[in-house]
Amino acid sequence: MFDWPTFLFSLPLLGKALLITLQTSLLGNAFGFVIAILISSMQLAKMPLLRRLGGSYIFIFRGVPLLVQLLVIYYLAPMFGLPNLSPMVAAVMALSLCSGAYIAEILRGGLMAIPSGQSEAAHLLGMSRPAILLRIELPQAVQSTLPSLVNELVLLIKASALVSVVGLADLTRVAQNLASSDYLFFQHYLVLAGIYCLINIPLTMFGRRLERHLERSLA
Amino acid sequence: MTFDLSIITANAGAIWNAFLVTIYTWLAGSVLGLMAGLLIAALMLFGGRPLQLLLRVFIELVRGTPFLVILFLVYYGGPSFGLRLGAMTAGVLCIAFYSSVYFAEIFRSGFAAVPRGQLEAGECLGLGRLQLLWRVQLPQMLVLILPAIFNMLTILCKETAVLSIITVPELTAVLTGIGTRTFTFIETLLVLCIAYLLLIEITSRAGRWLEHRVGIYLQR
Amino acid sequence: MSLSLSPTNAISAVPAENSKIAPIIHLSAVGKRFGKNQVLANIDLDVHHSEVVCLIGPSGSGKSTLLRCMAFLEEYDDGEIHIEGRLLGWEIDDRGHRKHAGRNRLNQARRNLGIVFQQFNLWPHMTALGNVTEALVRVRRLPRQEAEKKAMKALDKVGLSEKAKEYPARLSGGQQQRVAIARALAMEPKIMLFDEPTSALDPELVGEVLAVMKQLAQEGMTMVVVTHEMGFAAQVADSVVFLDQGSIVTRGTPNEVFRDTNHPRLRQFLQNYLDRNAFWHTTPEKTS
Ligand SMILES: Nc1ncnc2c1ncn2[C@@H]1O[C@H](COP(=O)(O)OP(=O)(O)OP(=O)(O)O)[C@@H](O)[C@H]1O
Ligand SMILES: [Mg+2]
Repeated sequence: MFDWPTFLFSLPLLGKALLITLQTSLLGNAFGFVIAILISSMQLAKMPLLRRLGGSYIFIFRGVPLLVQLLVIYYLAPMFGLPNLSPMVAAVMALSLCSGAYIAEILRGGLMAIPSGQSEAAHLLGMSRPAILLRIELPQAVQSTLPSLVNELVLLIKASALVSVVGLADLTRVAQNLASSDYLFFQHYLVLAGIYCLINIPLTMFGRRLERHLERSLA
Repeated sequence: MTFDLSIITANAGAIWNAFLVTIYTWLAGSVLGLMAGLLIAALMLFGGRPLQLLLRVFIELVRGTPFLVILFLVYYGGPSFGLRLGAMTAGVLCIAFYSSVYFAEIFRSGFAAVPRGQLEAGECLGLGRLQLLWRVQLPQMLVLILPAIFNMLTILCKETAVLSIITVPELTAVLTGIGTRTFTFIETLLVLCIAYLLLIEITSRAGRWLEHRVGIYLQR
Repeated sequence: MSLSLSPTNAISAVPAENSKIAPIIHLSAVGKRFGKNQVLANIDLDVHHSEVVCLIGPSGSGKSTLLRCMAFLEEYDDGEIHIEGRLLGWEIDDRGHRKHAGRNRLNQARRNLGIVFQQFNLWPHMTALGNVTEALVRVRRLPRQEAEKKAMKALDKVGLSEKAKEYPARLSGGQQQRVAIARALAMEPKIMLFDEPTSALDPELVGEVLAVMKQLAQEGMTMVVVTHEMGFAAQVADSVVFLDQGSIVTRGTPNEVFRDTNHPRLRQFLQNYLDRNAFWHTTPEKTS
């Protein structure tokens, strides 16, 4: 039923692929975070145009499937003078843009929960608007939304399975290649699912612990 | 670079069919997922400790696995168990399977949100456990969980795009197919994006409307 | 000790012949633990037909637990509770072990009981009428029309027939509690159990609920009432039971219990009650 030699043989390959998966998701998460800071502060800005722009970004990148976003970047980038995007760059780009929208929504909630008196006080002390955001508001928003951010990372790791379609040799792609070479589809995909679970379930549990911790510290 | 929407009108029939396939896989999968999720949540509520633990593990495992991988497992891995499904059927079943655990979690939190006292009051009046579930818990939790359910529905709508990878002839598969055949990526991808944006927007509006309708009794 | 509470005892005490008839509620040596915490110990209590018994006692003394045991909302660990002569909640098998009585048996016993909770526990997604009708239709299996007629009569009794179509959220706390009473009454119970029915209410709404309860008592309903309203207990109760740390300290007519000086805990409890409720005797002097 389960072919152990094949499994053992595939482990090094899957290990390397796991690094690619983690690299894309973590990079995507990091760039997504930067985008999210920008977008969420746009949404909370006073200028209607900025708010509108921030809102549209979120509407579009949360409304279009990640797979379609990937295809758009993959097919259209060359047409807009970005020739030869490597699969890695295309993948990280798509993941960042997409997760940016989701993280922005999370951060916005965290930022809105901060009493406005804090930024007013900082303003009176002469701090600039970006400084207030980065040094005072953001750390608090991140702290209060940390469980959701961890959850978002789990979702992103799962979503990163899709980058296999643009040819990046991530976990899913490598498992696919293995399966089509020896036709042990079920076994390889089962192992694949197991690896994702091995990363995601501890992360999820960590997120839950953070959440309980947060609830207790607020109570 | 040209922009020519005639490629869309020329293929309107095929695109419309693809749209219907998207809608069908999405809704059929979601409805099945909702029912399975309710069943799982009810089993966790009434089942014994071992069953609860088993379902907990099941939920965590499915939640830890990407939808694409579940799709591969069922569609490509199924035949090793004699489970030979058409792409469309596999797609619907996978959406149902994948969403059932998320819906189960939503239902579970909904059950927990109805105060125990209301159930005790019913119990004392002689109402049975299932009657209370159906008449007291479900209608109330519906209001509480509608936002989460509709959020999940929008997520599932987007997941149907992944079905293109196992050759289900839905929107993404058909439109990118037309795009590659005729080198009209801009037009086809634009229409694709707009189609999904519309679907998502309509769904979330419907959700908000329904929330309002169902929640009327909460208004003072 | 001079307490300014004056029990008028408007309702006559238990008729003498009543004590010869079997009690409608009979508790013998009832005990209840939560884990290692012995919450009730060795409770003996009889309630007779048409009797109104008020349970008083400090917070955490086990009043609610005792009342909930009488409806088997809590499973009591020791002793026996009989409602109308039938063992409540448990069944004794051939070897003398107790096991859970079946749903049907429990429901049969509960048919005699109507319960009113501190938190009303109305179903917020049903109108007042819907709340009252629900069990008539689904448990009694009455046709909807008949059930609604019965429900309207119950609502009328608590003075809320014109609010029948309102959802609980649009009713005041006092009105909600009266709907809850109507919901229990509609099932025509022989016994009504109340757990601090007025404690969650704004002070100005307490009266309307107590008035309904007083009327019930006058009509001869058997009632067990957990309450902090000593005035109500003094006026309406046939007997008052003082519970402390899970045991019955004393039981008697309101007159006896409220003037009882033998039990330091009871004296302190009543003094606390007076201190809390008689501030108007002292504040004017302080402010002037
Ligand atoms: N479900 C439970 N689990 C564990 N302990 C409980 C539970 N319910 C009650 N207790 C404990 O039992 C004791 C009696 O509680 P109970 O609610 O019966 O008191 P009470 O007399 O009704 O108090 P109050 O006047 O505050 O309502 C308390 O010490 C309480 O902490
Ligand atoms: Mg109590």
